[in-house]
Amino acid sequence: MKNLFVVIMLLMFSSSVVGAAAPAISVESAGPKVQIRATVDAILDELHAEDEDHLLKRQKISDLIRDNFDFKIMAQGALGRQWRSVTVNERARFVELFIDQLEETYLGRLRAYTDQTVSYGSENIRKNRAVVETFIEDAGVKIPITYKLLPRGSDWLVYDVVIEEVSMIRNYRSTYGDILRRKGMAQLLEDMAQKIDDLKKRNGAEFGENHDAKQA
Amino acid sequence: MIRTVKIHNLLLIFIILIALAGPCWCASLNNVNNDSLMTEQGDDDFFEDLYGDDGDVDAIADPLETFNRGMFWFNDKCYFYVLKPLACGFRVVPEHVRTGLGNMFDNLKSPLYAVNAFLQFKFKRMASETTRLVVNSTIGLAGFFDLADSLWGLEKKEEDFGQTLGYYGVGEGFYLVIPVLGASSLRDGLSIIPDGYADPIYWLANFEATLACKGVSMVNRTSLDRDTYESIVEEQLDPYLFVRDAYTQHRRGKVAD
Repeated sequence: MKNLFVVIMLLMFSSSVVGAAAPAISVESAGPKVQIRATVDAILDELHAEDEDHLLKRQKISDLIRDNFDFKIMAQGALGRQWRSVTVNERARFVELFIDQLEETYLGRLRAYTDQTVSYGSENIRKNRAVVETFIEDAGVKIPITYKLLPRGSDWLVYDVVIEEVSMIRNYRSTYGDILRRKGMAQLLEDMAQKIDDLKKRNGAEFGENHDAKQA
Repeated sequence: MIRTVKIHNLLLIFIILIALAGPCWCASLNNVNNDSLMTEQGDDDFFEDLYGDDGDVDAIADPLETFNRGMFWFNDKCYFYVLKPLACGFRVVPEHVRTGLGNMFDNLKSPLYAVNAFLQFKFKRMASETTRLVVNSTIGLAGFFDLADSLWGLEKKEEDFGQTLGYYGVGEGFYLVIPVLGASSLRDGLSIIPDGYADPIYWLANFEATLACKGVSMVNRTSLDRDTYESIVEEQLDPYLFVRDAYTQHRRGKVAD
């Protein structure tokens, strides 16, 4: 009986040592998985923070997203081959709109996924690309979400998000490509600006509502 | 009886047709696109490297776009005026019960997945799906609990006849929006018919009961969903294009795995 107690004590002690040492090691290597995990967890924490002004909350989440996503590469990928057939001004405007729209969309998505659990799968680094698997579990359904990253200095930046085999950037490219062919660049930019306005109104209102509902 | 035989024959003809036409069609489509891309893309292999291949090669053929958009509109109305209200009403049932009900409907698909895994020589998956069916149907209380997954990590792996055809090189043909059921392709749409024969409900119940089961399953699934379709409609510049591409990418991923 006494032996068992000692064994348990040892086990608990060793696990707490390992537990304490693990984050230190991760910070040093700062692999893509560690970074994704830190970012997603920080966003979830922020979403769960009860007593915080919703505008501040939004700003913090927005900063987290902007620090970890390579929006310029994403915008370029979303325009694909058409990138070279539009003017420099149109490119700049497109990148600007694309970033805004992505952010509003992402914020909207997060609102829908507050009570779900996120788990982390494998990390795969090949040459200068990394792929990190995560899973969102919701009502018995496990949705795989894969982040694709590129190295930037000592960090990794996300350049695509793949949800259930569907690449977000490829999806945007197919939509933009179709609209470009039919209506042209000027109309695409106008449509995007209009959409962002609508999303901003919605997200602004719903982040407020969410906040109030939680207080009640 | 005569009627079923006729449907059988028709189905067989259809399958043979796409089996023959599908690969050729796709091959020729790919060739055309690749040729035109070669000159235009030239040195620019950056995106190809980063995001797979170019969007134009990826796109599914959509010769019936006008019809498909009409069906998309129809399904959109069905969703907002019929399915969604029913699903909202169904939310009076506690969530864990609805999750269990969803598991039961999923469990009934295990035979389908097992058969199609077999047809693709994926014997491990076939064994896993068979185990899932046996375990979940018995100690999992008719599939209410997905014990095979929670106890042994035997996750559900969807394998349907469309994927089997894809495995044998049958192309998707073209995009097709099916009334009520939604996004599909010629290949996957026709595959719904053979898939139906692997459904235990079809063998156990009459037509009306089978239809009712499908309806309940659909309402239940929608009740558990967090407004995915609503977000798509709100967020996307053209929801039709979003769904078309997402469907295509998703199915291609499923065929490749």
